Amino acid sequence: MREKETTLYLGPQHPGITGNMMVKLKVTGDTIVRAETHVGYLHRGFEKLMEVRNWMQVFPIVCRICVPEPDPNEENLARAIEILEGREVPERAQYIRVMVLELARLASYLLWFGGQSGSAGLYTMPQWSVGDRDYILDLFEELTGGRVYHMYIWAGGVRRDLPEGFADKVLRVMDYLEKRLKHYDNLMLDNSIFQKRAQGVGVIDREKALDWGIVGPPLRGCGFKHDVRIDDPYLVYDKLQFEVPTETGCDVWARALVRRREFEQSISIIRQIMEKMPGGEFYNKVPNPLHWKVPAGDVYVKTESARGEFGYYVVSDGSDKPRRVHVRGPAYVHGITLLEHLLQGANLADVSFIMNSLGTCPPEMER
Amino acid sequence: MSDRIQDLQKSLSEGLPQCSVEIRRHGGVELISSKENLVGVLAYLREHFGYRHLSHISCVDWLEQNQFELVYILWNYESRIQLFVKVRLARVNGSGISVRHLWPQADTYEREIAEMYGLPFDGNENPRELILEDWDNKPPMRRDFDTRAYSKEAFYDRPGREDAKDVRSVISGRSGEEIPEIAIPYTRK
Repeated sequence: MREKETTLYLGPQHPGITGNMMVKLKVTGDTIVRAETHVGYLHRGFEKLMEVRNWMQVFPIVCRICVPEPDPNEENLARAIEILEGREVPERAQYIRVMVLELARLASYLLWFGGQSGSAGLYTMPQWSVGDRDYILDLFEELTGGRVYHMYIWAGGVRRDLPEGFADKVLRVMDYLEKRLKHYDNLMLDNSIFQKRAQGVGVIDREKALDWGIVGPPLRGCGFKHDVRIDDPYLVYDKLQFEVPTETGCDVWARALVRRREFEQSISIIRQIMEKMPGGEFYNKVPNPLHWKVPAGDVYVKTESARGEFGYYVVSDGSDKPRRVHVRGPAYVHGITLLEHLLQGANLADVSFIMNSLGTCPPEMER
Repeated sequence: MSDRIQDLQKSLSEGLPQCSVEIRRHGGVELISSKENLVGVLAYLREHFGYRHLSHISCVDWLEQNQFELVYILWNYESRIQLFVKVRLARVNGSGISVRHLWPQADTYEREIAEMYGLPFDGNENPRELILEDWDNKPPMRRDFDTRAYSKEAFYDRPGREDAKDVRSVISGRSGEEIPEIAIPYTRK
């Protein structure tokens, strides 16, 4: 007897969905036969809007492309403008940028810890990790004035220098987060509920991982040691010592371990930054923002965000407005083609679990 | 690094005489292809030059030249050199050519370009809608689509928002409700 096929709509309002998107599922019993991703609930037309804004006015727009980790966007755009103009960035500003990017990565991983455990039914973890993320947001607030969106990195450097005593505060938060890691392990990674849910679930085909455009922790979870910070170093990453952890399981468990180990690496990077931070200027003087023309040309810049390669293709026609800014978020690939593929044959209860493990983020899929 | 880029440029010009190959000012190598050669070029780059990672497919509307430019950005994990493959297409009645058999994720990019620029792809006919559902206007990412005119036409102003006046004072003017002092908008004296 053939089982009846039912259509289920998961989202756009659903606690297990990582943002406003919908997954249309065809299920027989508990097993998913087909999945279709539907985005479009969050389209804000940012790329169109950027084409009618001055270069400087684009900065407050780009940070809103990714809610959990806005800083790679700012950094990408700033670096694209700097490359097109041939503008130098003071070394101190580069160190500060790396610090901001790594703090953002930690904040993003803390949110992810919460989301991933929450979707396995471990509800203590989100309370703790989101609470701890607030200490990083406090640092951001003191440094930039904003907790979530910072608008801090701009072409030529950063907007403000570090406030008095800020380095000590950062190091204190790092010490605290490092101490908390063992509690996270107890709650999440050493928890047999999590292990049983994660091992062997959402397995990516290792042979195809490179061809499918998979990046970031899902790629490293397949055993490929690829990280933009190493492959195509930007800022001062080539002066820092850090490891790129890999796992070979290709499943949700492998991705969780990769992220957990990267967390420690980021803490170590921030400590090195604080030690090596040089003095000097924190920005180079830029032209009047209202008459700021960027030389014609096109450039593709990329950053290793918490979810993988975050790229910007920026085209200038020599005017005071961008001709085209096209954003490549990692979720654009992970959340559509890869997610639809991984959900085929998966259990209904694993949908949000797999989705979280890929770092699906609707705002960067539709901008 | 620059030696390796020059070597790559040389071997690409020999291997792909139908394309113009240039070293880019901002790093990497740029290939300009025709639409007919595009799939062959990309497959060749993938198989023989190790360009397995398709980072990005972008479309730029060059309205003044009446052309669309498709940009394929490829990355080689071994040589770590960025490669741009560009193809110019007619803006009116033009079409791109699908590469989703080479890279499955290309399908998403093609769906988006098809609906945002109105540029169809041969080999990816009737793509599923991605972002815009039931859109029957001009494709919105085209340079000649006026967002402001469209929103004026499609939406109406909230009452009190027809002009640039402060909404609270307009409404209180109508209803006679008193505005607390703290909410009175600041005006320069």
